[in-house]
Amino acid sequence: MSINQKVPVTILTGFLGSGKTTLLNRILSEEHGKRIAVIENEYGEVGIDQGLVINADEEVFEMSNGCICCTVRGDLIRVLGNLMKRRDKFDYVLVETTGLADPGPVAQTFFMDEEISSEFTLDGIVTLVDAAHIDQQLGRSEESSEQVAFADVLVLNKTDLVSKEALSNLESRLRDMNRMTRIIRAEQAKVPIDNVLNLSAFDLDQVLKRRPSFLEPEYPFEWTGVFKVDPGTYELILEEGPDPEMSLVAFYDQGTTEDSLKDGAENSVRLYAEDAEILQPENVVPFNKHISLQLQDKGSKKFILEVNKSSNIGLFTQHTAEEFDMKLTLNPKEGGKSEIIDSIKERIWVAEHEHDDEVGSIAIERLGDVDPEKLNSWMGKLLSEKGVDIFRTKGFISYSGNPNRIVFQGVHMLFTAQPDKEWGNDPRRNQLVFIGRNLDEEQMQKDFDKCLV
Amino acid sequence: MSGIEPFPPKGMLHSAWSSQVNDYAIVCGWNPTGTIFIVGGSSGSLYAFDGNSGNILWKKENIHDGGLLAMSICPEGDIFATSGQDGFVRLWDLEKGKEIKFIKIGKSWVEHLKWSPNGQFLAVACSRNVSVITTDCVEIWKSDDHPSTVSAIAWSNNEELATACYGCVSFFDIKKKFLNQKLEWQGSLVSMELSPNGDIVACGSQDNSVHFWRRSTGDDAEMTGYPGKPSNLSFDSSGTLLATGGSERVTVWSFQGNGPEGTIPGELGHHTQAITSLSFANKGLLVASGSRDGSVVVSFLKNNGDGDPVGAAFAGGSVSAIAWKPGDTAIGAVDADGKVVVWEFKVRTESDAKGFG
Repeated sequence: MSINQKVPVTILTGFLGSGKTTLLNRILSEEHGKRIAVIENEYGEVGIDQGLVINADEEVFEMSNGCICCTVRGDLIRVLGNLMKRRDKFDYVLVETTGLADPGPVAQTFFMDEEISSEFTLDGIVTLVDAAHIDQQLGRSEESSEQVAFADVLVLNKTDLVSKEALSNLESRLRDMNRMTRIIRAEQAKVPIDNVLNLSAFDLDQVLKRRPSFLEPEYPFEWTGVFKVDPGTYELILEEGPDPEMSLVAFYDQGTTEDSLKDGAENSVRLYAEDAEILQPENVVPFNKHISLQLQDKGSKKFILEVNKSSNIGLFTQHTAEEFDMKLTLNPKEGGKSEIIDSIKERIWVAEHEHDDEVGSIAIERLGDVDPEKLNSWMGKLLSEKGVDIFRTKGFISYSGNPNRIVFQGVHMLFTAQPDKEWGNDPRRNQLVFIGRNLDEEQMQKDFDKCLV
Repeated sequence: MSGIEPFPPKGMLHSAWSSQVNDYAIVCGWNPTGTIFIVGGSSGSLYAFDGNSGNILWKKENIHDGGLLAMSICPEGDIFATSGQDGFVRLWDLEKGKEIKFIKIGKSWVEHLKWSPNGQFLAVACSRNVSVITTDCVEIWKSDDHPSTVSAIAWSNNEELATACYGCVSFFDIKKKFLNQKLEWQGSLVSMELSPNGDIVACGSQDNSVHFWRRSTGDDAEMTGYPGKPSNLSFDSSGTLLATGGSERVTVWSFQGNGPEGTIPGELGHHTQAITSLSFANKGLLVASGSRDGSVVVSFLKNNGDGDPVGAAFAGGSVSAIAWKPGDTAIGAVDADGKVVVWEFKVRTESDAKGFG
């Protein structure tokens, strides 16, 4: 028996019908060399006939002190407590929860119960969402937004049932809610096993290795469209939309790969930082310039694009094309019909606007050192006052006088701060992400700034 | 893994015999005459050892599909019961290891078994229900659904059974099939012990506290401040002291006078890792504690709960169960690596014990 190695545990959440059992069966039937014990809720959708499967009633135990972070799953403590005596039988545990389960108590079980935490380690929380129905579910139930908020990996399943555009919108909505999650699109829960097991998602170092900046930046624009065009005069037509003006940057030679889109985004950020040139309708849109399209007039507005070479042009706009029903057309030659140019690539960005969902992410990124005492007292106060609404906390901090990076990790009010690798020559900085409900970003940023040395 | 170096038995513990089973040993116990030592392993193995020599009398494997969860030796006669993940309870003959009877209780795990003091009834906890069966495996009573999975059971006398689960302790008259008393408290109760006279109910709780009630007065109290959950509890035979786990220390509450409310408990800090098993001797204020660090310590306590070690020994792996031999002349222990060890405990008399107190 290998004893010292803790057994990794993956929590699989998602609404009924999101494809949990399909994914579970896929994981169990694949050759991955792992012996997986599955703890399944009693209302499992389809029987699973492989491996070590244990049924458990979900028993959520609140404590008399009313502290939400002390709430644990009694069934898991019992079942895992027995399983740890059968280490010869398995080397991985998957916990499937019902669609209505709150992931908080499940995750907390692995921090709060010493007997469990000494033998098992929470590897990650994988949430499946049904791309066709999640929009409605998010509006209707708290559990589903909590499942999104807790996820280390979000599997956007059944993508074959929705349009590309709806998917992009959905992805951007989900990313707004949980900015540290990894989103994977899937049909019929076809997901590479490596993307859901052995994530070490609670090992922040691993997370940072994979994604050195796990904070997806917020851009001052929401949308990019890439259009393949030949030389000629084009019209950008916008209908009435939510804003009387809209910023835009246009580039030549915009690539369509994710990397080149990000390069374009970075260039745009620089240009967006400059003052916008006010542009009235019927005027020519200059390339490589931050302009503000004036959209106060009623009805359709036209702006001109003079294209002097065959190229893929990229338009980075403050709002999505959909919001203004924006179209690019080639001007008709001698009385012909105008031709609508379809984009060859679209990309939705996490925008700086106010978020609609109650559940959202807050990122704090600051250079410099913090005073450990001030930070602890702020975090302590924040978590005791808002711990119920803060689902996850992740990040790292630079303590003044400490040569090591300090890694933060939290579920509700529980958080750990552990010394990590040395800073060395890296610039000392702080990155924290809070995922929660109705969080006051401005206040939290201000309070954090007070902790800086 | 234990973090401490092996050491030879010290003080009043002396090597008797040791053996090895091919399983993670989880339960052990002596027959009423102390001639046979039974050991059960998590995968469903069962071994009977000669209590004096350590020779294997018989062994079984895979007695419960999925694994063994509980064992209880009948205080009268030569039988004992086992239960497991398969939802079955099986009754065995001690000497030959022959299965006498079995009963399927339910689909869920059967996690707890306890014989009534007179050995006539076996209480069986399976998921949210508790049943009482006879030595013929006939179910004579079954509870309604509890609010959650039953986490502990205990007999207060031959006709009254106590159950603990999330939020309450219930007392059932199993003859009249009647709920005698319900003690409520919002907390996940993970362990339960009754004082020998049945008046004090002590429960370890998931929120790292011990909650107890006095049935006669209805008073209750909560002892907090444990670093971990007190999964192990043991009352001494007089009901004066309650030993509790919940950390690497044994915390002992004294019920003498108006205690333990407002008193400072005795603390026995002889282990380096969490307590995994606790058992008072059949008589006297002697408590044996087993730990994850692989050691077993016997401490001699005073009425106020303070005490000193009188014997110590090293088993090996994390100690999963310890059992005093009837007459308290030896202690048996089993561990996570399948080690089975029996130490002799130097004979003492009752007057000696009082002399220390």
